[in-house]
Amino acid sequence: MLPAYLCGVLPARIASAHATRTPLRPRGAGTWLTAQRPISGDVLDVSTHTGIVEYVPGDLTITARAGTSLRELRDVTAAEGQWLALEPFGEPIGTIGATVATASDGPLAPTFGRVRDLVLGLEVITGTGEVTRAGGRVVKNVAGFDLVRLHVGAWGTLGVITEVTMRLRARPEVDETYVVTGDPRATLEAWLAPLASLSLAPMALELINAPFAQLLGLSAGTTLLIRLGGNADRVAAQRRALDALGDVVRAPDDLFARLAASTTPSMIAARVSHERTRMFDTWRHVSTACTRHQAWRPLLSASLARGLVRVMLPPPDAAPQVTDWGEFTRTLAPPGAHTAWEQLPADAWRHVPSAVVDTLSTRLRAALDPAHVLNRGLLGEPFSARTGDA
Amino acid sequence: MPARVATSAFDALRAASPEPHGDAALVQALRAIVGERWVKVRPSELTAYDSDALPGYRAQPSLVVLPGNRDQIVAVVRLLAERGLPFVPRGAGTGLSGGSLADDAVIIGLNRLTRIHAIDAGNGIAHVEPGVVNAVLQRAVAPFGLHYAPDPSSQSACTIGGNVAENAGGPHCLKYGVTLNHIVAVTVCLPNGELVQLGSPTSELDGYDLCGLFIGSEGCFGIATDVWVRLLPVAPSVRTLLADFPSLTDAARAVSAIIATGIVPAALEMMDRATIRAVEASIYAAGYPTDVDAVLLAEVDGLDAGLDTDAEVIAQCCRAHGARSVRIAREPADRARLWQGRKKAFGALGRIAPHLVVQDAVVPRTRLPDVLTTIQAIGARHDVAVCNVFHAGDGNLHPNISYDASDAEQSARVHAAMSEIMQACIDVGGTITGEHGVGLDKLGYMNALFDDASLAAMCAVREVFDPERRANPGKVVPVHSCREWSGRPSHAAAH
Repeated sequence: MLPAYLCGVLPARIASAHATRTPLRPRGAGTWLTAQRPISGDVLDVSTHTGIVEYVPGDLTITARAGTSLRELRDVTAAEGQWLALEPFGEPIGTIGATVATASDGPLAPTFGRVRDLVLGLEVITGTGEVTRAGGRVVKNVAGFDLVRLHVGAWGTLGVITEVTMRLRARPEVDETYVVTGDPRATLEAWLAPLASLSLAPMALELINAPFAQLLGLSAGTTLLIRLGGNADRVAAQRRALDALGDVVRAPDDLFARLAASTTPSMIAARVSHERTRMFDTWRHVSTACTRHQAWRPLLSASLARGLVRVMLPPPDAAPQVTDWGEFTRTLAPPGAHTAWEQLPADAWRHVPSAVVDTLSTRLRAALDPAHVLNRGLLGEPFSARTGDA
Repeated sequence: MPARVATSAFDALRAASPEPHGDAALVQALRAIVGERWVKVRPSELTAYDSDALPGYRAQPSLVVLPGNRDQIVAVVRLLAERGLPFVPRGAGTGLSGGSLADDAVIIGLNRLTRIHAIDAGNGIAHVEPGVVNAVLQRAVAPFGLHYAPDPSSQSACTIGGNVAENAGGPHCLKYGVTLNHIVAVTVCLPNGELVQLGSPTSELDGYDLCGLFIGSEGCFGIATDVWVRLLPVAPSVRTLLADFPSLTDAARAVSAIIATGIVPAALEMMDRATIRAVEASIYAAGYPTDVDAVLLAEVDGLDAGLDTDAEVIAQCCRAHGARSVRIAREPADRARLWQGRKKAFGALGRIAPHLVVQDAVVPRTRLPDVLTTIQAIGARHDVAVCNVFHAGDGNLHPNISYDASDAEQSARVHAAMSEIMQACIDVGGTITGEHGVGLDKLGYMNALFDDASLAAMCAVREVFDPERRANPGKVVPVHSCREWSGRPSHAAAH
């Protein structure tokens, strides 16, 4: 529920915006707004909307206000030996509301699920100022149409998320991270071929390129990061299995946290997704595209189980940079793959096709935000199209 | 068989006429699309479609049409759209919420669409038609060392299309998740006959998660003509444990303790004394002790290394919470025997009385002991025998009542007890359905769970897919939450 001091304030503010057709842009920690997304409107500050609403450790669920930071959720749940097994790319000051709105995830997703798999319930204020609830606080729920899934990844264009209930996990008894490097002369296929037959069930398995490895303080070369969890016997057996892949070194326990936090708001970032059997082709294609466009030291990471390659570039003011963003955004992914841009320079967004162009999506947006006041400029329209009506 | 319950004044007319549907032109047009034999209009044929697995609810469709492929689905839906006629998609009819009942609407049966188009083992994706039976898909992918995780108890009969419509679960959802977590894309024939693909079989998209929104929409957003499901490797090793408890409350506490260890069992199922006795008195007898209040069936799977340790930790949790004995099975035959009683529990309960109402609600896991006690008290107060066989690890209760639906007084007591049970679950922060759907049966509880604004948002979303509200009308969201419904309201008669 909305706390007393906000009860009526946020809904009234949105209802008023709806009535006057005044654009609003909800703002939590502002970690992705600073990524220069072309959004018009007055800032609707939800950053003070923080705090845990309900946490019963035995239920393995937590309900928090949307402005609560991932760091606070981590600390509160860690005290009970639990965690939100999500750890999305980005800094831990990011909020749970923004994490859900942007469907941000990270290397744990193939094992523990993406945001859509971990959100149980939401409180959302629609574009007309109506306070609505979807889902609930229990781990299985099929009561009514699944508006939770609709709001996950909608970037706040269908409503302002004010409260989130997430599924938690108990932390594993053992949680260890290993770094594996192979023969630098071998192809990725040859190096990683044994993976398919090894008795491995890692919590996370991420391939990173040499610049990324260096950034994390690891030895140069393409590197495999593996996070193993479970009881001691299970982790030990998997650790032994890794020897088939090359040199194995125990890494600091915070390596994956540092990998995630390496995405800062000013960086350029994109996800390229394709069938996992094409993973290495996707990796090489993205790598080559970066080279061709003179992208300076691209940081590549890949989730093998998911067929997902993520690329990050330093901010334009920090290094020589891509000159033709139109061509770069068009050719980064191989044919048949899908690119989701997370962060781009402001003037590059106009090259990115709208994610909400189909009839159903357009009508859903009109249904829940009829005056089109929420996050105008996101998902649905290119930057150039919205400047006139702001 | 359930007693025939008249649901509409037209029943008598139908019974009197060998070809009751007045619109001969419609029947002819549908037959031109799907073939003569695939349009059913005779009362004797329609009877097979007048109920699902929920007792006490019957409704006669105006006719049943059984398309044989995607193109025929589209042609049928377009024809109905042109005529402004409501329709209800239907799979195997194993649903437990009355969701596939059609009151004077056209049923579009999807049982003929049983092709598995492709199994892509490398990418772990299968492309199937909606009428493929869950267990048939499991058998088809098994040679690849893969499985499709959602395993509802009706999996030998229920279809993937029905599973998508209801967002079906099953015993192994505790670890692996429900249908939502295992569908990557669907092709949907919208109620206006337009085909759209939601999600992607090959990559993760950004934009609105329309595939996720569609799953669990109970046939109100259109018909899935193609489904791409995710396949997972079969776990290399499995251990199944059976613990018996003199106290149901202690068994529930053991569940909480197991969850708190951090081990995520593949399944954690509980049966109470009444269920155990019904199972052991049936041909499905699994050797469960009949002098205890509860048995807990737990399964852990995954890599062999460390699995025995996990099984032993679970066994210790059970013993620490009063388990009288704990058995651990490693071999497939032994495990299958422990599972048999659970899998066939509903069948065994069906022997006790003419009808069995299988309910579905979810409570926060820590509230299980209280709620189980409350349910027993409610049952006693209404003089009905409630038994429980359920997914304890998820807090997903299935309170069941065996009764005779032809006895009006008994039916009324059953319904009163069920209403109180639902309210008790809502009161502790739970929900009215975890995997069976709202359908008709839970419609009356939606107002207790959601406020008007939330229901109106659901209606608004439904209207995007189906502005005329012709797809499975009268289900899921109470009619009064939307603008006035133009059609004749569906209604249920329980006797």
